[in-house]
Amino acid sequence: MVSVNFEQVTKRYEDGTEAVTNLDLEVKDGEFLVLLGPSGCGKSTTLRMLAGLEDISEGEIKIDGIRINDLPAGARGLGMVFQSYALYPHMNIRDNLSFGLKRMKGEAKLPEEEIKARVEQMADMLGLVDELTKQPKELSGGQRQRVALGRALIKRPKVLLMDEPLSNLDAELRHQMRLEIRRLHEELGTTTIYVTHDQIEAMTLADRIAILDKGKLQQHCPPMEAYHNPANEFVEGFLVKHLNDIKATADSLFKE
Amino acid sequence: MSGEQVMREWYTPLEVYTLKLWLKPVIVINILLLIFDVLRDMNAAYSAGGIICLIGIERSLPNGVSNLKKDLPLIFSGIAVIIGVISVLSSPSGFDLWLESWLVLPGILGLYWLSAPHVSRWSRSGMKIEDIEQGLARNAAQIFKVERVGKHIILAHFAFIVLLPVVWIIDIAFSPGNSLGGKVGDGFTFEHFSKLLDGEAFWTWLMNSIIVSLGTTIAGLCLAVPAAYAFSRFKFSGRDQSMFSFLLVQMFPGIIILVPYFMVMKSLGLLNSHLGLILAYSVTALPLCVWMLKGFFDTVPRELEEAAMLDGCSRFEIFSKIILPLSLPAIAVTALFSFLAAWNEFLLALTFNTSNDMYTLPVGLASMISATGQSWGDFAAASLLVSLPVVILFILFQKFLVEGLSAGGVKG
Repeated sequence: MVSVNFEQVTKRYEDGTEAVTNLDLEVKDGEFLVLLGPSGCGKSTTLRMLAGLEDISEGEIKIDGIRINDLPAGARGLGMVFQSYALYPHMNIRDNLSFGLKRMKGEAKLPEEEIKARVEQMADMLGLVDELTKQPKELSGGQRQRVALGRALIKRPKVLLMDEPLSNLDAELRHQMRLEIRRLHEELGTTTIYVTHDQIEAMTLADRIAILDKGKLQQHCPPMEAYHNPANEFVEGFLVKHLNDIKATADSLFKE
Repeated sequence: MSGEQVMREWYTPLEVYTLKLWLKPVIVINILLLIFDVLRDMNAAYSAGGIICLIGIERSLPNGVSNLKKDLPLIFSGIAVIIGVISVLSSPSGFDLWLESWLVLPGILGLYWLSAPHVSRWSRSGMKIEDIEQGLARNAAQIFKVERVGKHIILAHFAFIVLLPVVWIIDIAFSPGNSLGGKVGDGFTFEHFSKLLDGEAFWTWLMNSIIVSLGTTIAGLCLAVPAAYAFSRFKFSGRDQSMFSFLLVQMFPGIIILVPYFMVMKSLGLLNSHLGLILAYSVTALPLCVWMLKGFFDTVPRELEEAAMLDGCSRFEIFSKIILPLSLPAIAVTALFSFLAAWNEFLLALTFNTSNDMYTLPVGLASMISATGQSWGDFAAASLLVSLPVVILFILFQKFLVEGLSAGGVKG
C-alpha cells in the first residue's frame, strides 16, 4: 500500500511570496492523480517538494504515513520524469536506465545480473531493445521520453512523478505517449502524480484530478465530476469552459 | 522599350565596377601607410598627393547608374602613377617599392581599364543593347570573382604581417653565425640546434618549465573546478562580489603584484623553487579559469542534477559522475590555458629565480641575449623549440578550444 498525504503544506520563498498555501491532498494507492492548473499555480512546486528538490516551508508530506520532509531526494523511493527528459547525455541508454539501480546501497543493493535483467525487461516493455547501446542524442523525442519513463520506473518506485512530460513532443506523439503512459499505469499499478497544464491530458489520464490556482487547491475529484460539478468559478472557467470551447470548435469544423 | 532603358541605366562595365570596388580599401590602406610614413619621419608629401588622386578617381567614377565622364578619372590615374614612380625613384628600396605599388598599380589599372574600347563606347552612350546584355551577363558571372580577389589581396597582407616575424626567426635559427643581419635564405645549418640540444642548460630549463607548467595546470584545475562549480550552483553571501573581485584583479597589470609576490615568496622561503612559481601561476590563472568554467557549468541543465539526485547520488557523486564527464572539453581548454600561461610567463619567473638551474625556458631564452654576448642564432633556435609544444597543443586542442571558448562565451 502506497499512499501520499500532503498535510497543510506551504511553500514560501525568501521574499515572502507563497507558491503553495496550506495544501491538503491525499493520493491513494495505485491512483493516477493529475495536478492541473495554469502556469505559476504551484503544481510543479508541489511535485518538487514531494520529490525532495524543494524545501517544505510548513506542513508535512507523508508517504505511507511516514514523514519524509527531511529525507534526501534519493532516499524517498521515487521516480521522476522531467519535461526536458534530463537523460545523461554522456551515457548510452543502457547506462541511463541502470544508473539509478547501481546507486542503490546497503540492503537494497542489487546484483549485476538483476540489474541487467531489469534493464532488459524495461527496454522490452518500452520498445527500446534496439536502442540500448545508442546515445541519447541519436534518439527521437518520443524515444527519449520513453527512456526517461523507463529510468523512473526501473527502480520500482513507490510513487512515479511526472512533470509535464509530454509538452516537448508534437501532437501526434503526445497522443501516442498518453495512451502508452495510461497502459503502463494499468500494467504496473504504480501510484502516479502527473503535473500538466493541459486539460485534455488531465481528463484522459487521471483517476482523480487536483486543480490548483494561485497555490491553493480548488477541487479534488474524478475528472468527469469536476466537469459536471465545478466547485467554483475558476474550475468552471479553466476546465469546463475550455473543454466546451474545444468541443464547439470540433463540432463546427466537422459540420462543414 | 522600358526594359531596355532600365538595362542601359543599370549597366556599368565590369572594369569600372571593379575599379570603384577596389579603390575603397586601397584608399584606406594608403591612408594607413601615410600615417606610417609620418610616424617614421619620412616625406609624406608623395603619399598625400597619391591619396588625393585615388580619392579623385573614386569620386569621379559614376555611382552605378549614370554614364561615365572618363576624362577626370583618367587624369587622376595618370597623376597617381607619376607620383608613385617619382617617389620610388627618389628612394629605391624594396619596402618603398611595395608602399608605392599601392599607388602605382591602382593608377595603371585605372588607365588601362578606363581606356578599354568597351568602356569608351559605354561612356559615349554608344552601346548596342546586345552589348549591354552581354556585359550584364559578364558582370553577373565575374563580380564574385572580383570581390574574392580583392579580399584575398588584403588578407594576404595581413597574413604576411603576422607571419613575417615567424619567417624571420626560422631564418635566423637555420643561418650560420649569431648575428641578426643577412638576407633570408643565405646558408643553412643545424649548428644552433645541435649546440642547444648537446648542452645541459636547455634540458634543465625544459625540465623546469615542464614541472612548473604541469604543476600549475594541476593545481589550478584542482582549485578552479570546484570553485567554478560552487559559483555556478550554490547561492552564498558574497558570491557575486567574489566573482567581480576576480575580474578586478585581472584589470591590474601583472607588474603591480610582482613586488608583493616577491615579498611573500621570500618570507615563505620559496624563491628559487618550483613550488613558488606553481603557486603564483595557479593563483594568477585562477580568475580566468573560474570564469570560463562557471560559464560552462551554467549551461549544464539543472534537471540533470535533479534526476541524478532522485537516482540516489550524493552531491559529490553528482559532481563526479554527471558534471565532470560532461565538462571534459571545457576543462581541457581551461587546462590548456593555464599550461600555456605558465609555459610562456617571463616576469615572475625572472624575479623569483636567481639561480641558473631554476630558470624556466622563457628566462633561459632571455639570458642568451645578455651583456656577455648576444647569440641570436641560438636564441632563435631555442625560440622555435619552445614554441613547438605550444603549436602542437593548439593543433590538438583546436576543436575543443573553439567549443570551449564559445561555451564559456555565451554565458559568463
